[in-house]
Amino acid sequence: MRMSILLFLIYRMLWISSKVNPRFKRFIRKARVRLMIKTADGRHARLFVFENGRVSTATGPDHRFDAALVWQDPGTAVSVMLKRSQEAIFYAAAEGKLKLEGMSVYALWFDEAVKQAL
Amino acid sequence: MAKKITGGHLAAKYMKEMEKVDTVFTISGGHIENLLDGMAQYGIRAVDVRHEQAAAMMAHAWSVYRNEPGVCLVTAGPGFTNALTGIVNAHLENVPLVVLSGRHPIRDDLKGALQEMNQIDMVKPVTKWCATCYDPARIPEYLSIAFRQATMGRPGPVFLELPPDILFAETDESLVAMPSRRRHKTYVSPAQDELEEAARIINGAQKPMFLGGSGIGMSDCGKVLEQFLRKTGIPFALINYGRGVLPDNHPQSVNPGGFTGLTAGLPMCDVIIAAGVRFNWVLQSGSLFPDARVIRIDIEPTEIDRNRSVDVGLVGDAGRVLEQLMPLVEQRSHEKWLETFKNAYTAFMTTELEKRNTASDPIHPSRLVEQIQRTFGEDAYYVADGGDTTYYGMSGFASRHRAGVLAPAGGLLGCLGTGIPFAIAAKLAHPNKPVIVLNGDGSFGFNAMEFDTAVRHNIPIICVVNNDCAWGMIKHSQEISLGPDRCTCADLGLRHYEKMVEGLGGYGELVTKDEEIVPALKRAAGSGKPACINVLTDPTVTSPATVLFYQSFAGLG
Ligand SMILES: Cc1ncc(C[n+]2csc(CCOP(=O)(O)OP(=O)(O)O)c2C)c(N)n1
Ligand SMILES: [Mg+2]
Repeated sequence: MRMSILLFLIYRMLWISSKVNPRFKRFIRKARVRLMIKTADGRHARLFVFENGRVSTATGPDHRFDAALVWQDPGTAVSVMLKRSQEAIFYAAAEGKLKLEGMSVYALWFDEAVKQAL
Repeated sequence: MAKKITGGHLAAKYMKEMEKVDTVFTISGGHIENLLDGMAQYGIRAVDVRHEQAAAMMAHAWSVYRNEPGVCLVTAGPGFTNALTGIVNAHLENVPLVVLSGRHPIRDDLKGALQEMNQIDMVKPVTKWCATCYDPARIPEYLSIAFRQATMGRPGPVFLELPPDILFAETDESLVAMPSRRRHKTYVSPAQDELEEAARIINGAQKPMFLGGSGIGMSDCGKVLEQFLRKTGIPFALINYGRGVLPDNHPQSVNPGGFTGLTAGLPMCDVIIAAGVRFNWVLQSGSLFPDARVIRIDIEPTEIDRNRSVDVGLVGDAGRVLEQLMPLVEQRSHEKWLETFKNAYTAFMTTELEKRNTASDPIHPSRLVEQIQRTFGEDAYYVADGGDTTYYGMSGFASRHRAGVLAPAGGLLGCLGTGIPFAIAAKLAHPNKPVIVLNGDGSFGFNAMEFDTAVRHNIPIICVVNNDCAWGMIKHSQEISLGPDRCTCADLGLRHYEKMVEGLGGYGELVTKDEEIVPALKRAAGSGKPACINVLTDPTVTSPATVLFYQSFAGLG
């Protein structure tokens, strides 16, 4: 799967959950978080914005964010993200395939949000 | 004729001769005059402060830095109530603080005496032991109970009320029994099969982590800890009063990853050895490592399964339990795992590391901490106090000394204002080492008057104010929860704290530019006076601690 498609699907899933999933709605109801997922060269990039219960998005790397997951390349990004595990993210970071800009607590929050939405 | 001694002198004599107390933190008062006089008589140094809260906090810190009970003496009524915050803090941190307090005369009970109040009932829930002494001849006996209660088993604060009728009363000295202070060699030890089970888990671990807390500091078991960690090869983090028992720059330490490293890495561990550390709010009740097998070492049996059940619980003094484990654990290396852990947290800390290493305008607090660290190095004592400021100090400072980096406001009471009292106690305990306190501008205000104490007693601490002109942690969480235009009671404005310190007889400078930080720190150290370097930092930045703080409330309501 291409990275940009995966990022779009994540957004759709979060958006739908924000409308229909009570647990997720509760989780994000007071959140103000801007999370970016992108490649280091900025060619694949999507911003996820949570604001008082609403989820919105923007493409492109040049947005203000609280935390950004910056992947070395799109192939690694897709294969690691599809594993849907914190462990895979941890090892990707340890192997230099991923770095985190901004504050990592927001990335942990996002990880939990995705779990709640699924 | 029989030699007479007053109750106050008897108390001082006992403390000096039997408990070897050399320093007491205090403020004077009529009710306790005789005891103060006794301290002068028997050569106990009185560090007289400007608020009893600070006296309790300094005595608390003294017990941490010296690993012996810290003593404070307060007068009746307001002296007592002012000290309460410090007593509660010691209670929540299990610190052997000995509080001696005046009270109204026994003679005037229920008459509406000056400062008459029921102090005992107020202090009971926040002490390990409390009592009133009614007989001058029994003062040494009561004191010996107080010191034993404070230090034996899990330590904690104790409170002894000494009414003026017994402090001023004269007794025939030959009739007074001086209890001798014996150090018993009786220890609680875990059963052999539990030790063996723990060793089996440790020997089979693939991704272990040793997490040591205040119990490691109080046990002061650096030598055996180092042997245990070298043999098992296990990476470690030392937090709370355990920090620095082994230096932050030890090759197996993950302390440089700070809080970010622990939150990212602990969930990956398959075995956690938690020694002398409680699974409380600070450690998210142990929820950070849901899948790990957990071995807990604690002196207090009721802590073992608190908030998270464990696989093996080893009750006893941390150092002695490690000694008992030593022959049972195998020689191993976890170098690959350690490297993975370190690489991962370095990747998670990209921005923080960048901020530390780049000059910034306005100055980023992480950069300020880095410049302080570069100036004074690891042979120094650091204290941090504030909201966001606590985070920046805790993650950026490193020391090679036990309790070399403390952030007392990051404890369970979350009490702002602890920094300056802790720094003063650190400098008294280690007069030849630089002592630096990084203070939020808000938290600076609580005990700033203690600069007078520092000047009078010649205690040259260096206070660096991380000045964002706000109660930053509160302001930034209000910005998230209420919105930036509805922040309330959160702004402070620019105040010249450095001039205040100058006015009290210390050294002061205002810093607004990155390149001015290091020279100003050097001039402060060179002045030989208690100093305040007031540094204006970026008011817009916030720390991960604030985000978590906000999140902990966001789930409510
Ligand atoms: C004695 C006390 N009063 C109030 C609070 C609530 N509180 C927590 S953080 C904070 C702001 C601290 O501001 P400052 O010391 O300037 O540090 P900053 O967050 O700006 O770095 C406040 C008021 C507290 N924890 N302790
Ligand atoms: Mg502030």
